[in-house]
Amino acid sequence: MDMKVFQVDDEITHVVLDGRFDIQGAQEVDSGFDQLAKSSKALIVDLAKVSFLASLGIRTLMLSAKTLIRRGGEMAVCGPNENVEKVLRTTGFNEVAGIYPDYESAARTLRERLAAFSSKKA
Amino acid sequence: MSEPAPRACSRDFPGTVEAASDAENWVALQANALGLGQEAEFAIGLCLEELFLNAVKHGHANHASISLCAEPNGVIVEFADDGEPFDPTRAPAKRINGPTDDFDIGGYGTGLMHKFSRRISYRRFEGMNRLVLEFEADRNANASRGR
Repeated sequence: MDMKVFQVDDEITHVVLDGRFDIQGAQEVDSGFDQLAKSSKALIVDLAKVSFLASLGIRTLMLSAKTLIRRGGEMAVCGPNENVEKVLRTTGFNEVAGIYPDYESAARTLRERLAAFSSKKA
Repeated sequence: MSEPAPRACSRDFPGTVEAASDAENWVALQANALGLGQEAEFAIGLCLEELFLNAVKHGHANHASISLCAEPNGVIVEFADDGEPFDPTRAPAKRINGPTDDFDIGGYGTGLMHKFSRRISYRRFEGMNRLVLEFEADRNANASRGR
C-alpha cells in the first residue's frame, strides 16, 4: 500500500493511503504510522483510495490513535468508502477518532479542537 | 430461464502469517473470477483475514483450507484449520464505547464477522475447526457474468 505524508503546517499532518489495508498493506505502513503517532500533533488519515480494511489495518489505526491521544494529540480519518466506514464504526473506532467525508472538514474540526484546548490551557 | 449452476473453488494453505496474506490475495482473485461483486469480496476478505490470523496466532494452526461456493442466493465460504478448538461464534463482540484512551487494540473480529456475514456456524470435526459463513450475493454481478 502506498503511503504519502504531507506536513501541512505546525499542527496538521496529512497521511494519504492508496491500496488495500490488508495484511501486506498493514505491514508496509506500520513503522511509518508508529513514527507519526509519536511525533504528530494532529493526524488526518485519508482513506479515500483505500479499497479494503481488515484486522491488521484496524490494529495499525488503533495503535496510532492510542499513542496520539495519550500524548495529547488528535486523530481523524476522512473519505472512507461505505464498507471501510462500516468497519470503523462496528469496532467503535469513531469513538476515539472522528470520521469525516473529506480532508477539509477533518482539518477544520481538528484545528477548532486544538484551539479550544490551547485556550483552556492558557 | 434456468438459474446458473453453483461455481466453487478451494485451496489449502500452511499455517503462517505469510500464507494468510497469500490467502487474502487468492480470495480476492477468486471472488473476482466467480463474479461475486465488490460487497461480497470485501466481506469475505475481512472475515477470512480475521479467521486465518486467529487460527495461526492464537490457535497455532499448521494447516488451513478455504473453499468458496457461489450460489444463486448467496456465497458459502468454509474455513477449516487444525489449530486449538475455538468457536468464534461464542466469543463476545467487542466495541470501543465512548471517547477514551484506554481501549484494547484487538478483539474486534467477532463483531465484524457477524456484521459482514449473513450467518456463521461452527463445528469441531476430525480435529479441525470448521467455520461455514454465508454472505449476501451481489446478484447483479453474478447475473452480468452469466450473460
